[in-house]
Amino acid sequence: MKPIRRRFPWAFLAKRVAYGALAMLAIAIINFFLLKLAPGDAAEALAGQAGTADPAYIAQLRAQFGLDQPLLSQLWAFLVRLATLDLGYSYVFNERVSVLIFSRMPATLMLMGAAIVIAVIGGIVFGVTAARYANRWPDRVISFVALLLYGTPPYWIGLMMILIFAVTLGWTPTSGMENVLAFNTGWDRVADIAHHLILPALAQSIFYLAIYIRLVRAGMLEVLSLDFIRVARAKGISERRLSYRHALRNAVLPLVTVVGTNVGNFLGGAVLTETVFSWPGVGRLMFDAMFQRDLNLLLSILVLSSFFVILANLIVDLLYAVINPTVELK
Amino acid sequence: MSNPILQVENLQICVRKKPGVLILRGVSFHVNAGETLAIVGESGCGKSMTSLAIMGLLPDAVEKLSGTIRFKGRELPITDNRAMRKVRAAEIGMVFQEPMAALDPLYPVGKQVLEVIEEHEKLPRAMAWARVIDLLTKVDLPNPETLAWSYPHKLSGGQLQRVVIAMALACNPDVLIADEPTTALDVTVQAQIMRLLKRLQRDTGVAIVLITHNLGLVAHTADRVMVMYAGNKAEEAPTRDLFLNPRHPYTRGLLDATPNPERASAQGGVLREIPGTVPSIADPMPGCRFAPRCPNASDLCHARFPDPTYEGAHGYACHHPVTDARV
Amino acid sequence: MDRLKSLLTAILRDWMMLLGLLLLATVFFMAATAPLFFPQPPDTMMGPPLQWPGQYAGAPLGTDGLGRNILAGLFYGAQISLLVGFASVTVAMVFGILVGAFAGYYGGWIDNLLMRVTELFQTIPQFMLAIVVVAVLGPSIQVIIFSLAVVSWPAIARLVRGEFMVLREKAYVQGCIVVGMSDMRIIFTQILPNAMSGVTVMSTIMIATAILMESALSFLGFGDPNVTTWGTMIGMGKNNLRDAWYIMTIPGIALLLTALALNLVGDGLNDYLNPRLRSQRGQ
Repeated sequence: MKPIRRRFPWAFLAKRVAYGALAMLAIAIINFFLLKLAPGDAAEALAGQAGTADPAYIAQLRAQFGLDQPLLSQLWAFLVRLATLDLGYSYVFNERVSVLIFSRMPATLMLMGAAIVIAVIGGIVFGVTAARYANRWPDRVISFVALLLYGTPPYWIGLMMILIFAVTLGWTPTSGMENVLAFNTGWDRVADIAHHLILPALAQSIFYLAIYIRLVRAGMLEVLSLDFIRVARAKGISERRLSYRHALRNAVLPLVTVVGTNVGNFLGGAVLTETVFSWPGVGRLMFDAMFQRDLNLLLSILVLSSFFVILANLIVDLLYAVINPTVELK
Repeated sequence: MSNPILQVENLQICVRKKPGVLILRGVSFHVNAGETLAIVGESGCGKSMTSLAIMGLLPDAVEKLSGTIRFKGRELPITDNRAMRKVRAAEIGMVFQEPMAALDPLYPVGKQVLEVIEEHEKLPRAMAWARVIDLLTKVDLPNPETLAWSYPHKLSGGQLQRVVIAMALACNPDVLIADEPTTALDVTVQAQIMRLLKRLQRDTGVAIVLITHNLGLVAHTADRVMVMYAGNKAEEAPTRDLFLNPRHPYTRGLLDATPNPERASAQGGVLREIPGTVPSIADPMPGCRFAPRCPNASDLCHARFPDPTYEGAHGYACHHPVTDARV
Repeated sequence: MDRLKSLLTAILRDWMMLLGLLLLATVFFMAATAPLFFPQPPDTMMGPPLQWPGQYAGAPLGTDGLGRNILAGLFYGAQISLLVGFASVTVAMVFGILVGAFAGYYGGWIDNLLMRVTELFQTIPQFMLAIVVVAVLGPSIQVIIFSLAVVSWPAIARLVRGEFMVLREKAYVQGCIVVGMSDMRIIFTQILPNAMSGVTVMSTIMIATAILMESALSFLGFGDPNVTTWGTMIGMGKNNLRDAWYIMTIPGIALLLTALALNLVGDGLNDYLNPRLRSQRGQ
């Protein structure tokens, strides 16, 4: 017995990559004009950051960035620099912007990944439980808590968690990603980072946990009412197998798409979570850039984050096609 | 010759916690080994509920009020889901009305047949899979090895119904309940599926309970027919007997309302419809539930439900049975 | 028995919406009466700093690190939350309805173009975009309302487009086309009223999201520096996390209850306006 392999959807991939590239271009152009909207131009802003208002220096910067050129050629120059990942230099942080952002990326991805895993697993566990006890008390409790969490400010939940678990109970550190002074290496370091990760990941996941619980619950109830579940019951299959093999898999499929569309929101939420927990990621960098009025850095983060979302959506679409055989990728 | 494998006695099913709202009002019948019993009636007469009760798959909204269902002489514990799991598919298989919705869209069809065998028999996987291919061959599916790996959305309604039949017969059950197995299919496919069921019955000796509203189907396939009306058994007879000599006015009405070119002239070329509508299941009428629509009804009919009368294998529940044979 | 149960469920459902409406009315009451109860602006020092709730008669909910009355802050903060929430969603609704209506009604390349742009805006991380808009245009209430509208309209546009695509195929709309009614008249007088129930439900829930986002901007210190909001109060309170946690806890609960109220009302409206969706929501 050997399954038939489905052919890899090259045509679909090519089409999606082309569309993704187009979307990136459009986002870059939007950003360019956003920058143009700002009072003063980039040269003045940069000169201000460098701590000088010397007109000669500003003029030199203008020439360097081509700000004395017509708008279209400025746009072209901007796009070329973006394509070569030359995002400029941040005088506030004394570092190239691209280096700055990419060095902060791993911390954010780790936080985001942990938060997504918590939200998805929690959503499935509580959502399935609620569906199994539909309209009885476990469902009522879970659904009400989900409704509460849905309306809770995520940064405030983070602060409350710090107050309870870190300050009062002392179970976890209050902030940061690791205890730098301990000079941990190897598994000790991993354990230390994981210890620091618990609260921020939980805080970041809460809102999505609430959404996913509601989604899985509704999905399970819908799938359990479908014909094929009754047919499967008539086959003598156990309720357990029925719930997990047939109902859950069908109910969770839409969740994959939703998680994909939430990637951008997770990144946006990272600004708050990382600020609250002093987590050294891109979100925290964005807060600092905003605080220091480093507009170029701010916009670069926005552009790269958008690119990341486009990439993530492409991956999710492919993944969805892999786990859902009824999808024809065209 | 009578060798009942399945016996239903005085089965009453009501809406949960409402013993007054009866869906089945005390139905008794039996199925002999290897025969085909057709259960006929309008939608809502309780025929599907009867089949779900036998499988122990009654919806949560209803419950059994009284009665017993015996399989090979022992009572089926239809409210015990765990115990019933060993009966389903292994001893009594079932085929449903909507083949397009009957399979899980996320698994290849072969795997879904395999699931039945894995659940009921301890068999090495390779042998179980060989049985799956064999079953798919027996239900006349082309290229079974390839088709087993197809997902349901790639198959036609007729093909899917064949897979469902293969699933229902995978563990050689003694009884197959087919609940409107062809209603959702094209007319040409309907005939193929019915021929297939009859052939499988010849090969395996499985008894078939065919639930349908289509009397044409019954004439060609069933050995015996039971007609149901509003939760009661109206009439029960060998097929030929029932078609030629219906005793219950409802059966007569049903037959006269069925298009039949051979009889068109005898009926003056028109189909006769039965006037009125089926009473609500919540209506506590004491007499025959067909009385308000019956041309022969008397005061007695409205006052008291008729006891079943038997003339050999032909039984009916009527105070004023029809006496003239159909032409 | 069952009838009684379904009646109880219905009341419970309504009871939840009733709770939502009551909470929402309270927030409106606070916003309306703020200057009445607290004639002094909320950022004036009203008493000794760091007074716990119940400790100081002049400030029943205590004072913050600068001796400001927390209760006064709650009342004035309600004004900003409601203003920003309702105003930004109104702007987003107008824009989203226009885009969605044209895309759904005309279809073809117009639909394609408008929806690509809409998707583009959904791709950009919402909260980051809001921050950048505030960074570029400067922190003021107007800019914050605008920035939240910018991130909120795509969802409405997509919903309206979907409704329009279904409704424009309906016989009554086809009838309007046949009798030569103008497109604008069909869109705004025939289809839009029938598409509004979904928009109303979504807007209610989006107001909650907008209020939470405004509070987040203020919390980070990117809000209008001239007004006191619940977000700024939490931001200030986090400095006293260890010794006076009530400062950040109280406005957080206010936010939570306001968002909960709007969600309850949204759920209730949804059940009321689209009873056919009830089964999907599992109620």
